[in-house]
Amino acid sequence: MLVSPLSDPRSGFSCLAYGQCGTALRRLLLLALLALTASAFALSTAASYGAAAQTAKKSGLLKEDSRDCMRCHWMETMAYRDRETGKIVNLSIDRDAYRHSVHHELACSDCHDRGYSHYPHRTSSADEALQCVECHEEREDDGAPNLVGLHHEYEKSVHVTEEVEDFSCFSCHNPHTFHPVSAGESIAQVVAETNGTCLDCHTELLTPVPKGHEWLPRPQAHWGSVRCLDCHTPLEGRITERPSHNVLAAEDSNQLCVECHSKGSALLSQLYNYRTEQARDEKGFFAQAIYNDAYIVGMTRNPWMDWIGLGVILLMILGVAAHGYARYRFHREQETSK
Amino acid sequence: MTAFYLYPLWLRLWHWLNALIFVTLLVTGVSMHFTLNWLIPFDVAVPIHNTAGVLLTGSWLLFVIGNLWGGNGKHYLINLRTLPKDLIAQTRYYLHGIFVGAPHPFHVSAEHKLNALQTLSYVGVMYGLMPVLILSGWAFLFSTSLPETLFGIGTVWIIAIVHLVVAWMLALFLIVHSYIITTGETPTTNLKAMVTGWHKEQSSG
Ligand code: HEM
Repeated sequence: MLVSPLSDPRSGFSCLAYGQCGTALRRLLLLALLALTASAFALSTAASYGAAAQTAKKSGLLKEDSRDCMRCHWMETMAYRDRETGKIVNLSIDRDAYRHSVHHELACSDCHDRGYSHYPHRTSSADEALQCVECHEEREDDGAPNLVGLHHEYEKSVHVTEEVEDFSCFSCHNPHTFHPVSAGESIAQVVAETNGTCLDCHTELLTPVPKGHEWLPRPQAHWGSVRCLDCHTPLEGRITERPSHNVLAAEDSNQLCVECHSKGSALLSQLYNYRTEQARDEKGFFAQAIYNDAYIVGMTRNPWMDWIGLGVILLMILGVAAHGYARYRFHREQETSK
Repeated sequence: MTAFYLYPLWLRLWHWLNALIFVTLLVTGVSMHFTLNWLIPFDVAVPIHNTAGVLLTGSWLLFVIGNLWGGNGKHYLINLRTLPKDLIAQTRYYLHGIFVGAPHPFHVSAEHKLNALQTLSYVGVMYGLMPVLILSGWAFLFSTSLPETLFGIGTVWIIAIVHLVVAWMLALFLIVHSYIITTGETPTTNLKAMVTGWHKEQSSG
């Protein structure tokens, strides 16, 4: 259903492209049809490109050679069925998502630089051996963040040590949509997005009582509010900016409830500190202190309420003790006066 | 000497069972809230707290049913006409009279075993705070089935604050309650009554 006729040489449309069709009349008819579609297509793309240009002037997709690519790749149905695996390979580029991605300034050919001048393409991205780490190093001067440290973490992760087949950066990250957490996103959104990446492959965990998580009370509630990574990466050496790429094996992952359910939780500080700082800038300190995103038992996310509670209890104990002592004194006085 | 049988067996059983469940909830709740792992480890406290919460619901229903059927309910009727006067008298006694040997303003009888202050606080606790505590506890248990936000604030957050505030208030009640029961004729008059069922006083009023 997702297979695009353009990419399947057996389909009727490809017959047109190859120019192998029958009679001259049929060819003429088809040409007329093609001219019509092409002009309609040009109009519609021009319109949407115009709108796009207003929001993101620098978008790499608007560069000359990218436009050629996007003539086909903007289509949502742009895909083909891989003959070997039988899987549907999506070739469509979501322009909106690309515009908001970290790579939005890049033109298609900035990464896909070989073998795309012909149609059908003689290469596929799988053969290109695209290297995120190297590319980022080469373009550090253009502002590409260095990924070497992250790569070292990644090399220690189960995804590498367990030699998962065909695992690469692209298994988790789509370079056409990748973007950092934005200020407007709620914890739930951030969590849903990151966990979605894990669950895309780990579909065996999509059960009410997920394998290996039997010890965890209410797993679904947990998965809605914390990232898999919060437990499945090492506690040491965490930084606020991004999660570690050293994804731990099940037996090495954190299973201690109090790592999260405690004041100044080490596991969640990354997820929450990041958010709180942003939200504070947006909403102001007090609004943020009162209306926190989520309440976590043990994290005491509202300290002043605890102080009031403890204070009142303490005062009451003192009051009651004083009352009792005064009663005792009165009682003793009466005894002695008798 | 006077003696009234004021606390039937079911009420005594209910009371001490209820107190046990409540103290369990308090201790496990506090150790979860403040992460007092030396008190009760978190992963132990959670299932105990949840189980005790369910038991407390049963215990509360027992209390309501018992009071509807058992005749004990009459002690919980607030006499609005005499309430202000009684309350003032009772409060004055606790703040002043008790230290100067003034007579107790309230006399326990088979018809009225609870003074105005007791009636008011027990009604407030059993029909006000306890239902809110129990409902918010159940809301916690089923929070995943509730809407994400309520009035623009996270639902879990609202539930947590309600549960917490009511728990603080009930903890406060427990302190006052445990102390006030010592203000009978002798410090143990009321405690003995809740154990044996018989309220005994030396003087006859
Ligand atoms: C371990 C702590 C507790 C002790 C030592 C204790 C002791 C007593 C005593 C001696 C009485 C009888 C005297 C009186 O009528 O005031 C009593 C009555 C009562 N207590 Fe407690 N109590 C405790 C915990 C609780 C808790 C946690 C609750 C409810 C949340 C509670 C609710 C009541 C009620 C409603 C009555 C009146 C029952 C009636 O006569 O109908 N108590 N308590």
